[in-house]
Amino acid sequence: MRIKVRYFARFRSLVGLGEEELDVPEGITVGELIEILKERHPVLKNEVFAEDDDLADVNVSRNGRYVGFDEVLEEGDVIALFPPVSGG
Amino acid sequence: MLSERELARYDRQIMIFGKEGQERLKRSKVAVVGVGGLGSPVAYYLAAAGVGTLLLVDEQTPELSNLNRQILHWEEDIGRNPKPLSAKWKLERFNSDIRIETFVGRLTGENIDEVLEGVDVIVDCLDNFETRFLLDDYAWRKGIPLVHGAVEGTYGQVTTVVPGKTKRLREIFPNIGKRSGKFPILGATAGVVGTLQAMEVVKLLTGIGEPLLNRLLIVDLAFNTFEVVELR
Repeated sequence: MRIKVRYFARFRSLVGLGEEELDVPEGITVGELIEILKERHPVLKNEVFAEDDDLADVNVSRNGRYVGFDEVLEEGDVIALFPPVSGG
Repeated sequence: MLSERELARYDRQIMIFGKEGQERLKRSKVAVVGVGGLGSPVAYYLAAAGVGTLLLVDEQTPELSNLNRQILHWEEDIGRNPKPLSAKWKLERFNSDIRIETFVGRLTGENIDEVLEGVDVIVDCLDNFETRFLLDDYAWRKGIPLVHGAVEGTYGQVTTVVPGKTKRLREIFPNIGKRSGKFPILGATAGVVGTLQAMEVVKLLTGIGEPLLNRLLIVDLAFNTFEVVELR
């Protein structure tokens, strides 16, 4: 199935893209998508996402709604990845 | 009651939310926790808007490298005047009709009840999540709204937490990494995000518009993006 992934803030700079369309296996979860993205863009693996998924420092929205890593994706979904920032 | 001088001073915004709205601002006490890059525009605009009492909380003294963004602190304050006192001096000269209270020190689980006593809204202008979660816990315990903002580089995020109505910071940012030390930041980024936070406070206090409840605004000023993510 085809989905769109949008990258925000630091992720956008690292990946070098604002968004991209991807073909992914039917019925994958957000967590599985993130594994695919780490393979596709190793820079995310090395510099941003924690090795342990439970600690991954990434927030995810599916079609404009905030979701967890176990959320199941569907054809045509727009997934946005954004890193929480903490400066003040 | 608003004085003649106040009616004149706030004339242009009374056109937006009426004398009632202005009186609500005057009766309110807002805590600005962190008087740095975000706290400067927040305190400045809330003082301009006529929030009756501002409580400024910070433990630091300005350094030269703060001045690219912390516009309430000047060269003469470097290494000398703790941030709440530095800011108080300017804000009192800017608007003598409001009260500026200060707490120079770090918020802790032990002192937070005393320091934030009587506050109507808390504005999170901190640079670390450890203290943010302390504010989050306090806000929930006391039922007080908390306006969250954070910045880095050219991006930032804003959301407003209202106990009982919205998710809390701990739920929105459950796995926040422990980043510490020097982060990149441009003054204009802090200016935009802090100004959005000041707007949230005005919305909460006057009742105009829709605060960012259960919505997270994410901005990236380098790429002109303003995204609102539903948090429910």
